[in-house]
Parts: sequence; C-alpha cells; structure tokens
Amino acid sequence: MKKKKIVALLTALAVTIGLFAGCGAEKETEDASGTASNTSGESQPEESEPEVSEAEEASAGEAVTIWYYWETEGHQVALDQVIQDYNASQDKYEVTAKYVPFADFKKQLSIGASADELPDIAILDSPDHASYVDMGIFEDLTGKFDVGSYYEGAVNSCTVDGKLYGVPFGVNCLALYYNEDMLNDAGCKVPTTWDELKETAKALTTESVTGLALCSVQNEEGTFNFVPWLWSTGASSYDINNENGIRALAFIQDLVNEGVMSKECINWTQGDVMNQFIAGNVAMMENGPWQIPTMQAEAPELNWKVTLIPKDSEYSSVLGGENYAVINGGNVEGALDFLTYSTSEEQVKFMMDKFGYISANQSIAETQFEADSPYQPFVEELKYAMPRGPLAEWPSVSDAISLAFNQVITGTATPEDAAAEAQATIDSIVK
Amino acid sequence: MGKMKKLFRYENIGILFVFPAFLYMLIFVGYPIIRNIILSFQDVNAGNLVKGTKNFILFDNYMELFSDNVFRSSLSNTLRYTVLCLVFQFIIGFALALFFNRKFTLAKPIRGILLVPWMIPVTVTALMFKLLFATDIGVINYLLRSLHLIDTNVEWLTTPGTAMFALICANVWIGIPFNMILISTGLTTIPGELYESASIDGANKVQTFFRITLPLLKPTVESVLVLGFIYTFKVYDLVYVMTSGGPVNSTHMLSTYSYKLSFEMFKYSKGSAVANVLLLILLVVGMSYIKITTEGEEK
Amino acid sequence: MDGEKRLSRRNNIILCIISLFILCLLLFPLYWALITSLKMEREIFQNPPTFYPHILNLQSYAAQVETGDFNMFRSFANSFLISLGATVIAVLLAVPASYGIARYYFKGRKFMLLAFLVTQMLPVSVLLTPMFIMFKNMHVYNTWIAAMLADATIGIPFSILILKNYFASIPKDLEEAAYLDGCNRFTAFGRILIPIARPGVMVCAIFSFLYAWGDLAYGMTFILDQEKRPITAGIFNFMGQYGTKWSYLTAFAVVTIIPVALIFIFMQKYIVSGMTSGAVKG
Repeated sequence: MKKKKIVALLTALAVTIGLFAGCGAEKETEDASGTASNTSGESQPEESEPEVSEAEEASAGEAVTIWYYWETEGHQVALDQVIQDYNASQDKYEVTAKYVPFADFKKQLSIGASADELPDIAILDSPDHASYVDMGIFEDLTGKFDVGSYYEGAVNSCTVDGKLYGVPFGVNCLALYYNEDMLNDAGCKVPTTWDELKETAKALTTESVTGLALCSVQNEEGTFNFVPWLWSTGASSYDINNENGIRALAFIQDLVNEGVMSKECINWTQGDVMNQFIAGNVAMMENGPWQIPTMQAEAPELNWKVTLIPKDSEYSSVLGGENYAVINGGNVEGALDFLTYSTSEEQVKFMMDKFGYISANQSIAETQFEADSPYQPFVEELKYAMPRGPLAEWPSVSDAISLAFNQVITGTATPEDAAAEAQATIDSIVK
Repeated sequence: MGKMKKLFRYENIGILFVFPAFLYMLIFVGYPIIRNIILSFQDVNAGNLVKGTKNFILFDNYMELFSDNVFRSSLSNTLRYTVLCLVFQFIIGFALALFFNRKFTLAKPIRGILLVPWMIPVTVTALMFKLLFATDIGVINYLLRSLHLIDTNVEWLTTPGTAMFALICANVWIGIPFNMILISTGLTTIPGELYESASIDGANKVQTFFRITLPLLKPTVESVLVLGFIYTFKVYDLVYVMTSGGPVNSTHMLSTYSYKLSFEMFKYSKGSAVANVLLLILLVVGMSYIKITTEGEEK
Repeated sequence: MDGEKRLSRRNNIILCIISLFILCLLLFPLYWALITSLKMEREIFQNPPTFYPHILNLQSYAAQVETGDFNMFRSFANSFLISLGATVIAVLLAVPASYGIARYYFKGRKFMLLAFLVTQMLPVSVLLTPMFIMFKNMHVYNTWIAAMLADATIGIPFSILILKNYFASIPKDLEEAAYLDGCNRFTAFGRILIPIARPGVMVCAIFSFLYAWGDLAYGMTFILDQEKRPITAGIFNFMGQYGTKWSYLTAFAVVTIIPVALIFIFMQKYIVSGMTSGAVKG
C-alpha cells in the first residue's frame, strides 16, 4: 500500500515536471520558428531585426529604429521609400521603421520607457511632445539642428525651457471645408464670421443635411477641433472662465440647439466627419488637409472648397502635425544622421506630397503647392495657427477643455457652468 | 517518517495536480499584481517614471479618488453595468441552454452557430454596435421608427442614459453565447435517469426544473456567474471603442478610467489605485464565491 | 429536461422554426456587418439605411489581403499559432488543476481557488507594463511566445473554474473501480476521468482558444513586428487616426470569422458527440 503511494507520488512529480518540460520544449521550438519567420520575412528584410536595441553591430550597419503611427498605406510606403533610399545611400546605419497604432502609441511609449525598450526615433503627435520631454526620454537637440526656417509654432511644440527636443516632421492645421454645390443652391456666400457661419449653416440645413460638423469627441482630437473657436474670441487654453471663453462655448451650444450641427459629432472622429461630408450629410466641416487625398479618391465628383475658419474677433486655427524626437540612450548619432537626411528639401518634398502634409519648413511650404491647389488655403490658414501647449500637463488641460465642450454640446451644463468647472480643473494643474 | 506520511496524506496529493497551474499564474500575474499595489502607493507620473525618485505617498492616491467625481461615477457605472449585463445575459443564456437541450433536429447546429459572436474580436463588435446605434444612419432607430415605436430618432450614444443602455445591449449580445454554452455543458452532467424517475413520480416540468435541474446545476451556475461578474466588471475594449467613457464621462468604467489616467494623462500611480479598487471589489465577490461553494463540502 | 424524450414530428418542426427565429434575431448584427461590408462607403452613410447593397462593392474584400505591411494570411497563421499555443498551455495546466481542486480537500485549497480568481481581477491595462518587463527579461519579447504565455493566463483560471464542477460531478465509484482494476491515481485520472470530462475539456479548450483569438492588447503590446502580430492587429488598418472605414472594417470582421467558424463547423461532430455521450450514467 505504502509502495503504491510512493509510486503515485513519483508519477505525479513526473507529470508535473513533464508539464513544465513540455511547455519548455514547446517554447524552444516556438522560439526557433519565431526566429525562422523573422529571417524569412523576405518582403521587408529591413524589418527582420528581432531585438533592435540590442543588435549593436549588425552586418548591414548599426540599427536605428523608428516608431510611427500612420496606418494609411500611402504614408507607410512613402516613409519606407525614404528609409530604403537612406539605407542604400550609406552603410554605417540601417534604419527600420515599426508601426505602432495611434491608439496604442502613448501606451507603448510609456511601457517602453518603464522597460527600457524604446526605439531610437519616435515620430509623435506634437501636443504630447512636452510630456515625454518631462519623462526625460528625449535627447536635447539644441544646436544640433537648424530650425531657423521652420514655422515658429511647430518649433515651439518641441521646445521646452528654451531647449529643442525634437524636429517638426510636417505640419497641418484645421480649416473650413464647404460643399460648393450646396452653398450655391442655397444662394449663400462663403462665411467669414461667426454670424455669417450660423446663418449659412441654417440655410444649408435640410431634412437630411446638417449645416456644419466638427469632430467633438471627448479627447485630444476634440480639443484640437474646439480650440480654434476658443482662441478666435481671444480666450486662451488656460483662461476660459471669462466672457470670451463662455461665448465660444455658447456659440457651439447654439449651433447644436438650432439643429445646424449634429449632436453625433461627439462620436465622430475627424475621419468620420469627413465621411459624413463626402456622403452629403453635412454641408460644411472643420477638418485638416490630410483628408484631401482620401476625399479626392473616394468622392471625385464632389464639389468642395476650403476656406479660413470663420472668426469671432480674430482668425484662428490650431497647429497639428508630428515631430521627430530622438531617444536618449539609443543610437543618437545614427538617429541624427537619418534626421539630417530625411529633413533635406528633396526628401521633405517627396514625403509631404505623398502624405498630404504641409512642410514644417516655411521656406519649403510656401512653394510647395500651386496657387489653385486645395492645399493652398491651409498654407494661408497656417499663418493663424497656434500650437497646443507645449506643457507637460497638456493632456490634463486638454481633458478639461474637451469635457466642457462636450457638456455644452450634450446640454448637460450651461456654458457658464462648463467654463467654471473647466477653469477650476485647469487652475489646479497650471499654477 | 511520520511527518512524511502526513505530508503524503491522500488529500495532499491534490496539490501536485494544482501546483503547476498555480505556479504559472503566480509568475505571470502574481508579480504584476504586487507591482501594481506598490505603484498605487507611490507618486509616479511622467516626470519620474524613468528617472527621479518615486516617493511613497501611501494612501494619498486613494484619498484623492474619493473626491474625484469621475471616479465616483465610474464606480457606480461599473456596478450598474455589471449587474444589469449579468442579469440579462444569464437569464437569456439559461433559457436558450434549456431550449437547445431539447433534441430537435436543428438544436446542435444552431447552438454551435450561436457561438459566432465570440469569434469576433471585441473591438470589432463594439464598432458594429456603434454603427447599429448611430442616430441618423443607424438601423436600430430605423427599425423602431418603422414599427412606430418612436417618432424621432433616439440619440443613443450621445445621451448619458441611453449610451449606457447601448453598451449593455452590446455586452449582453456577447455574453449570451458564453452563458448558454457553459450552462449547456453543465446540463450534460445531469444524469437522464433522474428526469425519468421524476416523471414517473408525476413531477411536472416546473417541479423538475426547481427540484432537479437547478440544484444539480448550482456549481455551474455559481462558476458562470462569478466569472461573468469578473469579466464584465473589468470591461474595457467595448466601452473604450463604443463611447470612450462619454458622453460627458457618463459611461466611464473603472477600467477605462484607469487606462485614461495611466496612459493618456500619465498619472500612473493614480491609474493603478483605480485598478486596485476594482480588484478589491472583485476580491469581495471572489471570497463570497469561495465561501458559498466550499461550504459544507469539507469532510 | 425533456432531453431523453422523443419529440413528435410536429414538435420537432415547431422547435426548429423557433430556433431559426432566435438565430435570425441574435445574428442580425452579423447580417448587418455582412451587408455593410458589401456597400459603398457612401451608401453606408445613407439615411434611411438600406437593407441590401444597392451597388455591390467588393473592393473592401480585396483590401483585406494586403494593406501596407499587414498581410492577412500571415496574420491569420500568427493568430492561429498563438491561440493554439495558449490553448495547449491552458488545457495542460488547467485539467489536472481542476481535478485536484474538485477531488482533493488539501490544505490551502480554498486559497488556491481564490488565487486563481484573483489573477483575473485586474484590468489588462495595468498588467501590460509588468508583463512587458518580464517578457523582455525572458527574451521572449516580440515573439509569439509572449502573446501565448499572456493569453494562457486568461484561459487557465477560466478552465479551472468550469472543469472543477465537471470533475466533481463524476461519481467516485468510477475512480474506485479503476483502482480495483490496478490503476493508480494518475492513470485513473488519465484513463477514466479525462474521457468522461471530455465535453468540459472541449468547452474549456474552445473558450481558451477564443479568448486568445480575440485578444488585441497582449498581441499588440508584446509583439512589435507587424509580420508577427495576430490578425486582430489588422483592425488598425481600418480604424485609426483617419476615421473608420466601415466597409473595410466589416469586411475584416467577416473575413476573420469565416476561418474560425469553418474550423468549428468541421469540429462540430466532435464537440457535439462529446456533449451527448458525456452525460454520466450514475
């Protein structure tokens, strides 16, 4: 009997060990096949470095990795082209680019920072730049890069305490798109002021069409679309609870109450707004130049134009776009070498053209488009565009602004209350 | 030898069966749990995530949460959401399990097909429901209008109360197959003879259900409910995609708020504290489950 | 409950009709996904909505095959491997564990049961960073193994909780009879109990597989190379910074469902036979 028990116990141990050994063996084989698939990634051999930061000396040169978030195929192909040309142009460095989705980008950078597993270059959304500078993961580029000919706002977005922590990749801003046929049919002129905008929107609103749409989701994207209206009154991002700030909130609330702007805007991303516009459900929209290639491809017969965002007391728009940042502790020399290459006029022109972006370099931007190009109004609008922040706590400020904006749209607060609440939050962040 | 003998007691052999799985979970989830608890007592944000000192501020993050409106509403949202989802998906799932337990020709194929909602990534399901619930172009409003149940379109996802309703609908849709399949599996453990003898004794259907089916299914029902509670309580993808916690924070859940604090606003410690509150509530649920299920079974 | 009774032909037909009705009702969202995938983007935005595509658009399916550096077939294979690996780990570990918990009243049993539950109590978002650090130290970061190991942590506790009821419902006489036949505890477990519990094991395997199949967070966070990512990663091609492309997205849903559904239909016989013969004749 006793013997039986001991045998049983030994069997149990064997089973236990077997389980682990089984798993272990499986791991190893999977590992091997994982590596095998790495090396067999023929289509993109430059992406087959398994552990980039540790691969100090690959045969093709020192590894330099880039993280970016553009899911659009055209963007990926254009960036890839520049990288391949760069890799072919020299043999000291081997650049590879990894796609990290926009929704995951901030998370992946945070996790990567905790785990010390970061790329050498990140191409990130400009309002987040200051937060990562605060995190201390970006290299100080002051004096290493000449940004003298760049748009001031774009340079500001990567400057903290007078030090340059990045290089603007490309810029964009928001402007007003309008459906020209609808405007002509309703006998309206292109609006330039808030009052005209409201009148026009009313005239354009029908059973199936709403006059105006702007992305109002409760996040950075919504803030991006709201601040031009806020700034146009003379209010700043940090000073909302005053006559100007309240007027901006009240104006938007009024548009919704009058039925000329759909409440659904709080669920529409900028892309969704564009889709509504090309489907003919919306007559005017606030949106950026990056939509133009899609609009031209998906709705070639649609007759639309772009104009400045109508003003309250002054023209205003918001600066968007991406910045290059170099990660400290990574391959800084390699990263800088690549940046020098990719920011040269020839490369910038190529990429901006494919991206539907405007060069952050003003001297390039001004000759980038033909006079009748649909992009040209955006170059004009850029003169009035200001950056968000730069501030390490910008995400919290932005959260307060988009909340206020959403409260008035959904009618859950009056403009006065929404402004007061936002101000209280902002004051607790920015002293 | 006596000690050895005690260790090798019949019942203790069970540990050997359980230990590998236990060790696995301890390694892969135990460490994250402990790390998360430590993080919630610190003051980690963007400024000191990588370098700089991480100060222990003990319960400050938790205290801060109690005066945070969004936290309080996420807490009550999460509870309301979980309970409502659980009630509907369990009842419907149970009913369907009983229905498909009858031996008609299509029972098995259709029960199999009903599992399909589980094969779709939750993110895609969430987007699909967002489309179904859209105000102007959504088919749900269209159907309700055609049936003259509503006159004007309901702004499902842009009104606080109805947004929660839409989320619950989506979650129940995913949850029905889950409950149905697990209860169906539980039903197969009930010996058919019991029903035969019950019908010989003249018991009617309702009596057999309450006297035989339900008591014998109790362990399954308890497991399904506790798992359902845990999975629903920490819902993330569905809410993030369908409403992102909006409109005006009205559908924020503890998990979405924790994510937002950690990865969008760089308040890592506060985000961890929210996650730990979630854990604490689930711990109470888990302990009650253990207490109920193990009561009286020990010899 | 009426399971063992023979149904009359008329009842059979009525029940079939009711079940078809339930099927249509519950799968309506899927029908909507299917027709949305076949519509032009502009028709999707039409008010009122159309119940079938007025202009057939197959472009959305063509786009699935290869978009940017996302390759659907490769991603499908990745997902399949990851899910299979996670399922194997989960089943291998959970089946003995649930038997141990169901049959042996050892010290610390309650604690272990609670511990398994606790591992499911944190939202995925806070698990990501520590897991990432661990996988990096284990040198499995950016491989399928990382996703497999992480996905199995969902399947294991789930399977234990479901299977322990199964093992508990198997009469002890069966085991004792096996001992008399010369089996020890472990051979009895392997030869007698697992076959009886097969429907439960199958269901646990299915759910472990599906949990891993639907996973997005682990696969995206722990695998950085697009060519190693699971199929769920493809969703970002159609939902991102530039808005949702509904036709592409729903086509993506349809395409991801079909292979899994086919596997399940193919395996249906196996699953179903398990379910019917599984009933324990006490």
